[in-house]
Amino acid sequence: MPANPSQSNAGPGSNDSISRRSFLRTSAVFASGLAALAASLEPLRHLKDFPSTEQFLQKYYKELSPAEMAKVLKRIEDEVERQYGLRPQVKDLRPMDGVEFVYALNLTRCIGCRKCVHACVAENNQSREPEIQYIRVLRLPHGSMDMEKAEHNYNPESVPEKGFFYMPVQCQHCKNPPCVKVCPVHATWQETDGITVIDYDWCIGCRYCEAACPYWARRFNFTKPSIPKDRVNLNMAYLGDRPRRQGVMEKCHFCIQRTRAGRYPACLEVCPVGARKFGNILDPNSEVSYILRTKRVFIQLKEELGTSPRFFYYFDV
Amino acid sequence: MNDQAKTSAVLFSLSLMFLALSLAFARHLWEHPQPGPPVPLVDPALLAPTTIRTSYPQLIRLKADLSDFDCYGCHEKGKPPTLRFDTNQNIIVPKEHSDVVMGHGRHNRNNNCFNCHDEHNLLLLQVRDGREIKLEESPPLCGSCHGPTYRDWEAGAHGRTGGYWNRAAGELKRQICVDCHNPHSPKIPSRTPFPPPHPLRPTQEQARTPHASRLLSSSFPPPSSSPVLPEFSITRTTPRTSEQAHVTLSPF
Repeated sequence: MPANPSQSNAGPGSNDSISRRSFLRTSAVFASGLAALAASLEPLRHLKDFPSTEQFLQKYYKELSPAEMAKVLKRIEDEVERQYGLRPQVKDLRPMDGVEFVYALNLTRCIGCRKCVHACVAENNQSREPEIQYIRVLRLPHGSMDMEKAEHNYNPESVPEKGFFYMPVQCQHCKNPPCVKVCPVHATWQETDGITVIDYDWCIGCRYCEAACPYWARRFNFTKPSIPKDRVNLNMAYLGDRPRRQGVMEKCHFCIQRTRAGRYPACLEVCPVGARKFGNILDPNSEVSYILRTKRVFIQLKEELGTSPRFFYYFDV
Repeated sequence: MNDQAKTSAVLFSLSLMFLALSLAFARHLWEHPQPGPPVPLVDPALLAPTTIRTSYPQLIRLKADLSDFDCYGCHEKGKPPTLRFDTNQNIIVPKEHSDVVMGHGRHNRNNNCFNCHDEHNLLLLQVRDGREIKLEESPPLCGSCHGPTYRDWEAGAHGRTGGYWNRAAGELKRQICVDCHNPHSPKIPSRTPFPPPHPLRPTQEQARTPHASRLLSSSFPPPSSSPVLPEFSITRTTPRTSEQAHVTLSPF
């Protein structure tokens, strides 16, 4: 091929030098590519709610010494005060010996009014905007336990409706919890009193547990949770209702801040028909012991999965 | 030469594409999250763990006006009131007691005031076995017919509880039958439900335009069991408040 030696010398095939034209061409593409990359990362600028250094360097919940725990609780109190202007009382309540919590729900009684849903939101400092709710009340046609027929957006003029029954579903606190098995960082585990808890400071937000849960009981904070100042519940527990950050999982924890202090959960207290029962299954005189001993039918939701929930549904009369 | 032209064309289009992309990213061309309507807050007063009605024992505890329960303000002592029935054997409720709805029991079998009230002393209740009990200690009377429910209630399995499950930590709050059930019409009245969950983004049904909805409804008819969500229930909170206030305040 007869070619100009000087051109071939500076051409793209040459190893030692490049022409000005190809240099400009390549750098223009490179620069515009870089600009596109920078622009695509632009949403990171709006990222707020970074964990503080203290929180970032905090040890695993189970490895914290009492002194370190006190420091952590104080940090949380400070953070809440900074955010909401109110000083909360954050406690680290530990499980009691000889106590295993069990929940029993009477499907014959439930009228599907969703009061429990909203009492839970008020008690546990769930985000109001976007809305996060731990309890999902399913409406099912009579004579069926087919989840495919369940509807949770029902909104009639009045409940109960003819031909339907209602089944509130929340964390079932399984004896064999799939969500705990899949957590890559052990941020969720089962306590000795049967409550499956989440350490919101240890959660990395991978949402594996959400996918693993057969009851759809776990909620993820996709955006920064927001709670009006006058609605913040100041009785807080580390594993319970302290405010969560963006990017962590949360779920029902049987109102740890109440139940480990001996009280009933919020959803139980407000149920207008007394369909919800809670207590210590190891105490033979508790209501739940009586119910599981004497009621004719009780079911564990999706029993066939072998999760063995501590949440029992029963019928009577 | 041909190769070089090709390279320039490719590089030129690449840089154009990158520039367009960077512009698009910077101006959020395809990421405009439509903020949904604000989620209405639930009135915390509606979430109070109060019973659905206020019973006589509760009124005593509240030290409320009990003049409604002073039977011998109108009735004469020692003279049992007479009951009147219509042709269908339904009791005629006198207009002085027009707040009483006779709805206890199916098939109209419990339509006699003196099944429970003591005709010789209207301030007392009577059990069929002859026991006389005070108005505020009614559960054994209810239990004389509703045995299994009474048994469950005594065990804590029927009825509302509150306070402390751990008796060592605090007091267990129990309710008696009439705190929730109207003795004259014991069925729990139906009520307006609290609002359903509000989706983070408007659902497909809410977001679609009339044109698109026509397209969708012709090809995918929506199931009749899942109605289109209305504009949330902001407007509905007001009647619920008044309805609940009515329910909680009526003495019987």
